[in-house]
Amino acid sequence: MTVAPEPAARDGVPEAAERRLRSGAWSSGLSVADFATCLQMGMDPVGFVQGYAVMQWSWTTNRFGPSAAWGGFTVPGGGYQENYYCPHGYVSPDHRAYGMNVEQRWVEDAWNQGWWLAFDRMMDEARQLGAHGVIGVVDDRHPLAGTGTQEFSARGTAVVVPGADPPAEPFSTLLAGQRLAKLIEAGFAPVSVVAAASSVAMLGNCITTYQLSGTSTGWFAGAGAVTEIAQVGRAQWAVRNLAREQARGQLHGDTLHGTSMDVFEREMGEGSLAIQCVIRGNRVRRFKDFSPLPAPAPVVRLT
Amino acid sequence: MSDLLAAMAALRTPAATAAGRGVTSDLTIDETLLLHSVGWEPVDLVVGVSWWSLPWSSWQWRTGEVGEASQAFAGAMAQATDEMRQECLRAGGTGVVGVAVELSVRSTNIQVALAGTAVRAIDHHPRPPGKGRSAATFVSDLSARDFSLLLRAGWAPVSLVAGASFVIAPRRSASQWAQQKTQSMEMPNLTQALYLARERAMERMQEGAMSAGADGVVGVKLQEGPLAHNARVMRFIAVGTAITLVEVEHRTVSPTMVVSLDDPVVQFAATTLGAQV
Amino acid sequence: MSDDVEGDGPAEGTELTELQGLPPDAVHRLAELQDRPGHKGMFTSDLSVNEFLLVKEVGFHPLGFVMGSSIYHLGLQTRRWSQSQELAKLTEAMYNARELAMNRMDEEALELGADGVVGVRLDVNYYEWGSDTAEFIALGTAVKAEDGTSYRNNAGKPFTSDLSGQDFWTLMQTGHVPLGLVMGTCVYHIAHRGLGQTLRSMGQNTELPNFTQALYEARELAMTRMQDEADQLGATGIVGVRLEEKSHMWGDHTIEFLSLGTAVAKTEDRQIPQPNPIISLDG
Repeated sequence: MTVAPEPAARDGVPEAAERRLRSGAWSSGLSVADFATCLQMGMDPVGFVQGYAVMQWSWTTNRFGPSAAWGGFTVPGGGYQENYYCPHGYVSPDHRAYGMNVEQRWVEDAWNQGWWLAFDRMMDEARQLGAHGVIGVVDDRHPLAGTGTQEFSARGTAVVVPGADPPAEPFSTLLAGQRLAKLIEAGFAPVSVVAAASSVAMLGNCITTYQLSGTSTGWFAGAGAVTEIAQVGRAQWAVRNLAREQARGQLHGDTLHGTSMDVFEREMGEGSLAIQCVIRGNRVRRFKDFSPLPAPAPVVRLT
Repeated sequence: MSDLLAAMAALRTPAATAAGRGVTSDLTIDETLLLHSVGWEPVDLVVGVSWWSLPWSSWQWRTGEVGEASQAFAGAMAQATDEMRQECLRAGGTGVVGVAVELSVRSTNIQVALAGTAVRAIDHHPRPPGKGRSAATFVSDLSARDFSLLLRAGWAPVSLVAGASFVIAPRRSASQWAQQKTQSMEMPNLTQALYLARERAMERMQEGAMSAGADGVVGVKLQEGPLAHNARVMRFIAVGTAITLVEVEHRTVSPTMVVSLDDPVVQFAATTLGAQV
Repeated sequence: MSDDVEGDGPAEGTELTELQGLPPDAVHRLAELQDRPGHKGMFTSDLSVNEFLLVKEVGFHPLGFVMGSSIYHLGLQTRRWSQSQELAKLTEAMYNARELAMNRMDEEALELGADGVVGVRLDVNYYEWGSDTAEFIALGTAVKAEDGTSYRNNAGKPFTSDLSGQDFWTLMQTGHVPLGLVMGTCVYHIAHRGLGQTLRSMGQNTELPNFTQALYEARELAMTRMQDEADQLGATGIVGVRLEEKSHMWGDHTIEFLSLGTAVAKTEDRQIPQPNPIISLDG
């Protein structure tokens, strides 16, 4: 399990940022509608905040990364790993007698580092403004042309709540506008943005490789068969499960709301896949007892 | 104290006061509120993924239906749905809503990936009386909003149902080809082949619904067209949600008509033409 | 000469010119949907949940998803380069192809014992068979009145309409019923302008009377044909008329004007209650 790096350990908010944040007029990334809602809720925007980090990046794996012990599926202490041995005995030097699904900790660590560096720098700027929280957070990751690097970014609008005591840590949320207003009205307080990424390499054994390339000919049992490719299905499930568990680990009993899950796949050569899953959402805490809405009235619009 | 100030105060209390493992959900706040209004709540994000292999020779040297492909599709769909059901049960949910269905048909394998939110009825919330028929754990691609609407009308989802058929269109016969150069006419072989494929996909979907004991299927979405990797193969995939009446009879929703004052510009469009007397 | 000549067609001397009746698979699928002793039927539909509830609201029940298709080859028609004219053969072909598709859809609806079909979509798909062959497809959901009243039109066939569930509900509130989807089509060739004409009008903003005439005539032809169909059904009006203009695969000087609408008849004097005006604050 990877943990976000300590805030104090990182530097890098540029001097220009300090100057901008000190100046009087604030800027904000909120649309007009969201801005109006923000004020109506009782929040005052105090500035546009942002954070960036550029990381060395590579998709391919020619090393498995440190993993605890061989065999078995253990979550979350060591990394995820499952071995798929071939049942054929010795065949030839090319024969893939051994395959595995393995969590690529080093990819996850790099992603976490990049994401949280950018996010924490953004929160630093917010702190400098004395903000109570940051709303409408937008995060992004894109490669910098041809340099083998990825830039992580996080941007949002810092706000203060007049009349409230500042919280120990400014809150953060991906939501803004009416969505945020309704969330609070429904009795949930935004705590922080949750982001987790998992990466699993599926290195196929002989049977998996054969199945992926279309089981048609050959002396393998099951030639011409339509059958489940168990190793891949398992790797796909594992990557989603890992991301989900990592996200849950950031909740500490609170609720994860408005989650999005993205899965990327890349072929790394015959019979091998690299799969990555990113989960982002809002950690929210209930502050009011549950009281359901009256049933809304259904309408048919004439225009 | 206003809601916002109460929320801010809550941030100062230490975390981990909530019992349980922490709910995760991909529903929007609107959907969550609608769910609550019918007495249900989200429990957990759940997934189901399955890959099935296809002999690469399935696509070659033949015309007509590619049986292996529909077999692989059915297998992958059944397994992914089942996995999702198991996750739902483990999380303590009654069913899954808002399932996003992702299908990839490649030349050597078919993938079905499902992701949704498991939901359950809130214990202390009084439920409307009814036949009390509890279906097996349901999985549906209906949004939480559609789910709450259906519940209010007395229906409930039963399962996601899907059927697929892949057909390689036959080529024309020599005499037909010669005739067609100048004449306008229907092409019976092709028509038949595609008609068949469509009907089969629908039928398989229907069978799924029937074996689940459903009363009907809504929201059928038909995906049709040539395959990306082989333009001579037509795919027809029908996906829908099977539903069943759980109340004694359908409850009308009685909507009111409204006129929205939002349009800034009214465009003139003649939409009614009287027939000549 | 194309290379796809290998035989798969019917035996010599038994050329099918058009498919007759519904394929056995369709008949089987539809039979499965219906209640029989010892077999409980069910419905299928491509209605959204909103539409499903509104259809039930007006006292109808969905029966099944119905469709009809036809793969049609559009033959050649010679045209004169400098003359604007209707290409009657193509018009006929486009009309025929759509009729074939719609009739098959109607037959499926009849099999189910339906009163009508809502949400009809008429599509034209081009696949890999070349620019002169296309698939014409009609899809919709067959419905039946729950109180047993027959809503079939004066031809004894279930009504068809391209109205969505919402529009169907609204229409019924006004005391009208749909009779059938009516269409008129006209494939028109627009004359190319000679060099002399082009040079004369260069640099001026002026009406091009020939073009105006041509397009006007084409649209009127399409609409008149549509209205003729409505008259045959005994309609009092046509709602939701759409005029579509497409070149399909023929290049810019040949356009198909397709006019589509739903013919309706008044059954009772009803007025919709005063709707509530609302203004939404969420954009």
